[in-house]
Amino acid sequence: MKPAAFDYCRPASIDEAAAALASSDSAKVLAGGQSLVPSMNFRISQPSLLVDIRDVEGLDGLEVDQDGVSIGASVTQSRVMNSDEAYSAVPGLRRALRFVGHLQIRNRGTVCGSLAHADPAAELPALAMAAGARLTVRGPQGERTAAADGFYLGPYWTGLEQSEIITGVCFPAEAPGTVTVVDEIARRSGDFAVVGLAAAFDLEDGSVGGARLVSFGVSGRPQRLAAAEEAVRGFHAGAAGDGLYGAAYEDAADAVGDIHASGEYRREALGSLLVRTARAVSASNGGKAGAR
Amino acid sequence: MTSDQGSREIDLTVTINGMEVRRRVPARLLLSDFIRDEVGLTGTHVGCEHGYCGACTVIADGDAIRSCSTLAVQVDGSDIRTVEDLASDGELTPMQQAFHENHAMQCGFCTAGFLMTLESVDPDDYREPEQVVELLSGNLCRCTGYQNIVKAVCSVWGVEGRRRDSQ
Amino acid sequence: MTVQMKVESPTGINPMIRHRSGHIGSSLPRREDRSPLLGRRRYVADLKLPGMLEVAFVRSPEAHALIRSIDTGPALALPGVHAVYTAADLAEVGSFPHTIQYIRPVDQRPLAEDRVRYVGSPYAAVVAADRYTAEDAAALVSASTEFETLPAVAVLDQALAEDAPRLYDSWPDNRLVDFPAEKPEVTKAFEEADHTFTETYVSQRQTGLPLECRGVVAEDVDGQLTVWSSTQSPHIVRTTIAMMLGIPEPQVRVILPAMGGGFGAKTHQYPEDIVLAWIARKLGRPVRWIEDRFENLVSTVHARDQRHDVEVAYDDDGTIRAVRCAAYCDVGSGEIFMPGTATVFVTAGCITGGYDFPNMEVRPVCVVTNKTPSGAYRGFGTPEGMFVMERIIDRVARLTGADRVELRRRMILQEDQMPYIMHSGGKVDSGSHAKGFERAAALIEQSLARAKARYADDPDVRVGVGYNNYVEPTTPTYHLTTGHWAGYDSATIRVDPDGAVRVALGNTDLGQGAETTAAQLAAEALGVDPDDVTVVMGDTDRAPYGLGAWGSRGAVVMTGSVLMAADRVLVKAREIAAHMLEASSDDVVLADGGFHVAGSGTPKVSWAKVATAAWARTVDLPEGMEPGLEMSGYFEPPDLEHLPGADGKVNAAATWSNGAHAGVVSVRISTGEIRIEDYAVVHDCGTMINPMLIDGQVHGAVAQGIAGAMYEHFQYDPETAQPRFASFMEYLYPTCSEVPEMTVEHFETPAPEQPLGVKGCGEGGTIGPPAVITGAVSDALADLGVDITATPVTPAAVRRAIREAAARGAAS
Repeated sequence: MKPAAFDYCRPASIDEAAAALASSDSAKVLAGGQSLVPSMNFRISQPSLLVDIRDVEGLDGLEVDQDGVSIGASVTQSRVMNSDEAYSAVPGLRRALRFVGHLQIRNRGTVCGSLAHADPAAELPALAMAAGARLTVRGPQGERTAAADGFYLGPYWTGLEQSEIITGVCFPAEAPGTVTVVDEIARRSGDFAVVGLAAAFDLEDGSVGGARLVSFGVSGRPQRLAAAEEAVRGFHAGAAGDGLYGAAYEDAADAVGDIHASGEYRREALGSLLVRTARAVSASNGGKAGAR
Repeated sequence: MTSDQGSREIDLTVTINGMEVRRRVPARLLLSDFIRDEVGLTGTHVGCEHGYCGACTVIADGDAIRSCSTLAVQVDGSDIRTVEDLASDGELTPMQQAFHENHAMQCGFCTAGFLMTLESVDPDDYREPEQVVELLSGNLCRCTGYQNIVKAVCSVWGVEGRRRDSQ
Repeated sequence: MTVQMKVESPTGINPMIRHRSGHIGSSLPRREDRSPLLGRRRYVADLKLPGMLEVAFVRSPEAHALIRSIDTGPALALPGVHAVYTAADLAEVGSFPHTIQYIRPVDQRPLAEDRVRYVGSPYAAVVAADRYTAEDAAALVSASTEFETLPAVAVLDQALAEDAPRLYDSWPDNRLVDFPAEKPEVTKAFEEADHTFTETYVSQRQTGLPLECRGVVAEDVDGQLTVWSSTQSPHIVRTTIAMMLGIPEPQVRVILPAMGGGFGAKTHQYPEDIVLAWIARKLGRPVRWIEDRFENLVSTVHARDQRHDVEVAYDDDGTIRAVRCAAYCDVGSGEIFMPGTATVFVTAGCITGGYDFPNMEVRPVCVVTNKTPSGAYRGFGTPEGMFVMERIIDRVARLTGADRVELRRRMILQEDQMPYIMHSGGKVDSGSHAKGFERAAALIEQSLARAKARYADDPDVRVGVGYNNYVEPTTPTYHLTTGHWAGYDSATIRVDPDGAVRVALGNTDLGQGAETTAAQLAAEALGVDPDDVTVVMGDTDRAPYGLGAWGSRGAVVMTGSVLMAADRVLVKAREIAAHMLEASSDDVVLADGGFHVAGSGTPKVSWAKVATAAWARTVDLPEGMEPGLEMSGYFEPPDLEHLPGADGKVNAAATWSNGAHAGVVSVRISTGEIRIEDYAVVHDCGTMINPMLIDGQVHGAVAQGIAGAMYEHFQYDPETAQPRFASFMEYLYPTCSEVPEMTVEHFETPAPEQPLGVKGCGEGGTIGPPAVITGAVSDALADLGVDITATPVTPAAVRRAIREAAARGAAS
């Protein structure tokens, strides 16, 4: 389990990095490497060139202001998780990150790396969709931004071109009255989710006015739950959960089966997870429920 | 072999356990192999080579990391600490001593990884047994069932032991 | 608890062994700890020899295929590659031995020759300057191999089908072994019983999974071959290498450096040991192969893959009259020595556990499939059997309305039944079965009540309890397993001129603390401080021939062999001391580290003085005495039988430990999530040498049992037999968060026939959890009609069981 040979470069500027990335069809960005290096050890991934962005200027910023939390491409998950400012602006970040691997992984793994890797069972892409995050992407044609919602196309497949780099992501500050939660069922501590839910609930007087609900680990990508978002309107702690459960179950019609669970399990468990989360959040009446 | 954009071999300078090491290494060399084969510090073990088991945990610039899932070139310029750096003059640290007294190790293969994870954190952040358990969940042990490891850590950090029966 | 120890001289020649210095029963911290704490312990992967090359094996990507051609050219052209070997190059090397006549021969070659039968099967070896290059070359060999794919056999029923593709052309079917069984008393019981039911119970494929993978370093210097291998049995590896390479055994030295865990997986004789030894001789350079985790998952033995089709006869009052069981074990391709057949025999023999249940009829069948060969894993067939038995008892309780605890009370072995001869001939020599169960049930009762109260307000959560009463056959025969070796082990004790003691053992240390244990035994026997005892094991040149560490035998065989050797040393030492004291040796006693005349204030003669006379100042020896102070003991455990009698029955283990496990779980109905709320173990392994180490064995084994009950599962594609695992993301080794804090208590019922009353303790902990967890989950969901019949019990499995029970309920 050793990586195949590759060329390595460590550019100092984003222009150089973009140029290096464009130089080969199988070049890859190396940030924390916590997904990439293991897959290279298995030789599942055999890039010809690794573009290590650790020295690229301007990618190590973690900025928190009234608009939200901006996270540069080389900022580690631990750094975000440990930031009290980031937590108060976007509580969902810490709530998602505590499910991401373990300390040792988060110490090197980056938020943007996880967003780019697009594991269908990963927490951060789903959170980014639920929270309305926007990605900043740099490519040969210059810079563009992209909403996380719509960015995820399939397993390990995003709207990112081969020659593009995610240089940062901005999570908008959680609005008053909104509660963002992440919960999941995983087989073991730190594992990718078998069934996961990232949800931003807009609460009005103890009931749900609206929500952005995103499943992860259920189908081939993080997925908005359209029917459940309709069904959850007006949900409150004392409400019957059947309708909401059924809506999520329908939303997850394309749930996949694998060695950990069947598609049917994922549909059922997603419905149950959603009802339980919506109950807890409504019961807390806009408080910090769901922060586990 | 070198392309226009990169190189297969890289000059690397790291400090390991206070000693500066300069080497020209293949870009693909894993940090775990660099530490073990190039530097000769075999106390860091390799258990899975895919970032799961934690046996290879070392401290890089203060943070516990998986050396099997890190390329050596990624720590160019860093300060690395391994298990060999814990005891001074053979005198066990309190955590090492607690592992010994509590029988928190059997085959010893995972032990270095646990010790480095524990060394890297601030005990003040782990006041509840559940927090200790969660922290320890990043390192696998096949022999002990973890019970005595939790006990050893709680004894050193002054954490009330893990509660049975989730009371 | 007071213990009546039987502390007789094993040789029957010297009562001084009664000497008590308190080292037995002491939780002495381990001498093995310091080196790993400091990062200095040397495992195989830490060895680096001058000029050493690295080996990578090329492994089959096909589950079942003919090898049409292998082009080694591209790999050999790669800079840094020294050699590529295939089966053709190893023609001079023999096959693995076929030693058991009642199983069909597989003719296993060190490298697959013309046919591969599982993904991971090694068929070529690459030698290169470093492992990276070796893997590059292995990938090239793989890409240059032409296979002709054959139909794969992936699942048991398919393998058993009449028209199944066969793994071995010369066999009439895919059965490696099939022992039909019929007991007239069972037939009679079925005729008489009020009711019967049938069920199928499934234990999934798992593995021992030591954190240290396997590894081999081999070097040949002037015809003297040294092999460092992470094996549980270095002497057996040496014999096998010598036999297969056709070289004299004294020219082979096998060394086990520190081992990072074995758990049975490292008891087998693997092709890599043979190939590395051959390459080292061929090339005249040291070579190293370190198994990586992917290789480990596909090429180190699997285990526990069993299905039991049972028929149960029972009466209205809950009495279980008889059980018939066809026990199928999927042994994968079968290409492993020792063969993977023995575990299901142990299942068959021990399935009744701690219960008085003679009417058990088991037909063991081993079936080959295109999967990794299966073999030993801690527990060795017992967890699978206990799972079946406890599920049967719970089912009968449910069907008849009997109380689950009461039903077990009616069946459990009583002290006055000892020794109890099991249906299989197993002789349960002693134990605390009944009181252990009562204690475990009492320990868990409170937990159950608390858990019920805790979740009283949550209608989605149910709580349940599960039980297991097991017997653990310890210190077993190796003859039924290997067809060759049997059951003794050895110790050589030398007292050096300075009075320090060296103990060399045929047993090995896998991490369980055998070194510390041996030092305690020798210190006790010789009246010295444990710190003055040096222990040598795991080196065929430095330690006497022995069979190694497996089968929970270490404590028993070390006790026996160390006491025997110590006894002989003492006899001679006392004669020397008596000569110096000008007394009769009958009057000389050993106390406080020296010899003196009993009841007198004569000066003491120290061990150093005695040993100096023996080795150096031989002029001080009694006239005519042979110099030297080194003695060996070869201990054959009493009561151990190596071959079945005419009735097919055999006591295949020298002594039987026992235990009761009980656990409480909570289950979330909507998601199937399971949480172990509490777990209690009441354990009895006879006299305890080092209670702290025994607790450690129990903790670790229970964790592995829980892993098997809930998490670890090798899954294969049912059509292609391709593994659906490659890493720890698919093979779910539990972390600290998944293993609960457990309570462990002990009874000490000494083994009546074994020295010091010691029994083995290594495996028992693995036995209970599958039975306990499935029992507890079934109990929790009893209202819903759920009765779990397969492991692992995962959230998805729980949900499926709830759905199926609902469908059954709707249909009925």
